[in-house]
Amino acid sequence: MKNEQPAKAGVLQGTLTLVVLRTLAALGPLHGYGIARRIEQISEDLLQLNQGTLYPALLRMEQEGWVDAKWGASDNNRKAKFYSITASGRRRLARETKDWRRMSSTIERFLTAGPRSFSDELA
Amino acid sequence: MSWPSVIAARLRGLLLRGRLERELEDEVRFHLEMQIEDNRKAGMSPAGARYAALRSFGAIAPMKETHRERRAFAFIETVAQDIRYALRTLRKNPAFTIAAVATLAIAIGGNTAMFSVLNAVILQPLPFREPGQLVMLWTEIPGQAAREGRSAYRNIEQWRAQSSSFADIAVADPLSLTLTSPAAAEQISAVRISPNYFSLLGLQPALGRAFSEEEASRRERVALISHRFWQSRFAGSPEAIGASIELDGKPSRIIGILPAKYHFEPFTTDVWEPHTLFPDWEARQGVNGAETWFALGRLKPGVSIEQAQTEMTALARRLDEQAPPSARNRGISLMPLALHVTGPASRTALWMLAGAVFCVLLIAAANVASLSLARSVARGREMAIRVAIGASRTRIARQLLVESLTLGTIAGLLGLAVADAVIRVILALQPAGLVRLNDAALNPQALAWTFVLCLLTGVLVGLAPAITTSPRNPGMRAAGRIRRVLVVAEFAMAIVLLAGAGLFIRSLRAIHNVDPGFRPEHVLSVQLSAPSPRPELFNRILEQIAALPGVESAGIIGDLFIGGNPERVITTEGAATPHSGRLRFRADEISPGFFQTIGTPLRSGRFFNAGDNAAAPRVAIVNEAMARRLWPGLEAIGKRFKPGGEDSSAPWFTVVGVVGDMRRQNLENEPIPQMFEPLAQNPSRLVTLLVRTVLDNPAQMAGAIQSAVHDVEPRTPVYRITALENRVDAGLSQRRFQAALLIGFSAVALLLAAIGIYGLIQYSIVARTRELGIRLAVGAQAGEIFRLIIREGLLLSLTGLGIGLIGAIGATRLAAGLLYGVTSTDPLTFITVSLLLTAVAIAACYVPARRAMRLDPLVALRHE
Repeated sequence: MKNEQPAKAGVLQGTLTLVVLRTLAALGPLHGYGIARRIEQISEDLLQLNQGTLYPALLRMEQEGWVDAKWGASDNNRKAKFYSITASGRRRLARETKDWRRMSSTIERFLTAGPRSFSDELA
Repeated sequence: MSWPSVIAARLRGLLLRGRLERELEDEVRFHLEMQIEDNRKAGMSPAGARYAALRSFGAIAPMKETHRERRAFAFIETVAQDIRYALRTLRKNPAFTIAAVATLAIAIGGNTAMFSVLNAVILQPLPFREPGQLVMLWTEIPGQAAREGRSAYRNIEQWRAQSSSFADIAVADPLSLTLTSPAAAEQISAVRISPNYFSLLGLQPALGRAFSEEEASRRERVALISHRFWQSRFAGSPEAIGASIELDGKPSRIIGILPAKYHFEPFTTDVWEPHTLFPDWEARQGVNGAETWFALGRLKPGVSIEQAQTEMTALARRLDEQAPPSARNRGISLMPLALHVTGPASRTALWMLAGAVFCVLLIAAANVASLSLARSVARGREMAIRVAIGASRTRIARQLLVESLTLGTIAGLLGLAVADAVIRVILALQPAGLVRLNDAALNPQALAWTFVLCLLTGVLVGLAPAITTSPRNPGMRAAGRIRRVLVVAEFAMAIVLLAGAGLFIRSLRAIHNVDPGFRPEHVLSVQLSAPSPRPELFNRILEQIAALPGVESAGIIGDLFIGGNPERVITTEGAATPHSGRLRFRADEISPGFFQTIGTPLRSGRFFNAGDNAAAPRVAIVNEAMARRLWPGLEAIGKRFKPGGEDSSAPWFTVVGVVGDMRRQNLENEPIPQMFEPLAQNPSRLVTLLVRTVLDNPAQMAGAIQSAVHDVEPRTPVYRITALENRVDAGLSQRRFQAALLIGFSAVALLLAAIGIYGLIQYSIVARTRELGIRLAVGAQAGEIFRLIIREGLLLSLTGLGIGLIGAIGATRLAAGLLYGVTSTDPLTFITVSLLLTAVAIAACYVPARRAMRLDPLVALRHE
């Protein structure tokens, strides 16, 4: 699937975990499709997710013990696998959020800093 | 790939991979269907909705592949992690690890060794084509408990011609031959066989050929030799084919060599010759000829041994009606060749020993499970931390299982060394009657069994800790209960083994106390093979030996020990008319000094003397069993009898003496009727020379006796020189072997059970230190504490004892056929082993109880 639209960004490697954990922390147990829909809604369709990649990622999070998976019934009463965040998932989310914030604020500083103030800081 | 790992892989594939794969598919289908539905709601066409859904999902196959790889990787990764962690944990607890590994290694090693023996002796099929079709055919005499009698050649020919169950029947008769080489003459074992013998077994000579029907009927002196004989005599040279060897003074041409791996069952021998080579071949073919032949048959494909038995029983009845009255009353009994090679008693004994050593493994596993339960309680903190940082219950259970499986595997590897040593010991004991025992080895089958044992042990040991450990409940109470159950089970199994060992010891002692009817002490037994049967030669040899210093007396008998169930027709002169009948009895030629030498008492009449020579009337000495049988309630001296029917041309024997009964089959069998005739009246070439010495170890005279014999006649092979006690003892070797192993196994079992109860009591005291402290503080006497602890130990061991005794009564009944002179529920044995077990249990509890008694209440109360 190569025809990505230039206006939409692919999900950055590593951020998918953060996004999924955040989604589950905010909304409680969700099935895979629900998580995908939620990500698209929040990002207003700007964050282009190759939805299939969600499943290996969910498996990894499950193996790490960050999410729990259970089979249950969906809204329209169909069998679906529901993922929920675990205690260790919450700790992971807190850490990743902190890391991400520090990272993005650092980048932000680079982007807002003018040449002078940059040299001021050096001085 | 060995089968256990294949099965394991398949199982994992079926159970895990299949399910996970299906789940992923369900998940993906659900996802796509939901997306399509939403797309439809947004107004797309069915085709468009579907296309859009697939597009936004992305490629499915590569995603699945990633998913799959992740799964596999994670499995291997966590297992590797678990194993690393397990090894670290085991290393950190050397005391536990060494105790557990040592216990399990001994148990697994013992089981592997026992399996190797069982595999070699029983489980491996005989090395012949379709061995299940091979059957021994015996002549039986109903009413005389002689089921496995040899048969007359003519009878076998009739069976062969008239039965439809058999594809073929061959005959064989083992014998001893003198092999003369330029250097020396010696005795070798041989068997004379019909030409169809090897083809019936499905054996091809490795070199050369078997002899033909024509060669046999022309009575050509041809021979096949064993691989061993070929190697030792001809150094494996192909020129052996066509070479000539001198057997019993006549040249024989070698025409074939048997393959190396041929085990020679049912006859262990070096030379095979045509069955027609017996000097008395003509006489042997008659129906009243010697019933000396073994008959070996191959069933037709699809015919069961039961069907064949039914046919042969009917055939026996038909033949009986045609036979002269004196030769009647004979049946035919069939027996699978495998059962003939290793008898039912040996089989039962081996299975019993395998069961016993398996009990030892269960006890060892119970012990280690108990230890690791105690440890898993102590590891409660570690488990709690692991749960807190996110480990699931299954993850912890798996961790514990991996730990015990690692333990089992290490123990299994060490167990192989133990097994090797145990196999050596068993081979060194070399019990008689276990043909193919020397094949016992750590072969792939034995290794596979070790592997199974490792897994089994690992699961048994790890199961209890794994199920009692849960994140919320460290399993303290459940663990304590399970440990009690384990100790009870250990004691129950130990008492079964002890009871078995006790009964075997009692049997062995009962046999030792049996009076054989002769005094084997100080007597040396020597086999002689004279170049010709000349009475004066034996007389000269006996004189020469009697003159040696240290010799009290010397005597000769044809063969002292009786193999098989000889029986023949005998005609007696009773009070009125002669009477003929079939009798199971044994006839031997003896020299005058025989009974004095062997120490068998004369009951009435006289022994033989020099006057009973070839010129004198034929005389006989009979034993009490024969006198009772032939002339019940009458004086036997002076009575006459003759071998064969009333019309037989055999000479009449007059009974001149009655001697005490001798147990010449083995110590366990009641003596059969026996008759003796003077060697001078019926000289034989192969005889047993018995020399009563003044020495405790008569074998010291071996050299002197050998040279005395060779001084008289250098061409007389002298062989099998051994103390008579050793020969009597050899009959006990299998019993002694069984008893030795069973004693060893039950000693280990008892020790393990003692360690188990000691560990449990010790642990429960540590766990209850505070409680005991309070008891002491509120005035409990030290003695009460002591009794409390001992009572706890006794309760456990007595519960185990009770359960075990019930099991023991059932188990020993299965082995009843292996016992002698003692019943399978012998009260004395059961009481003795119960007392022994209880004493050991008390001793094991004594040490921790003493310690509990000396607790300082102040220290105990502060105990955490």
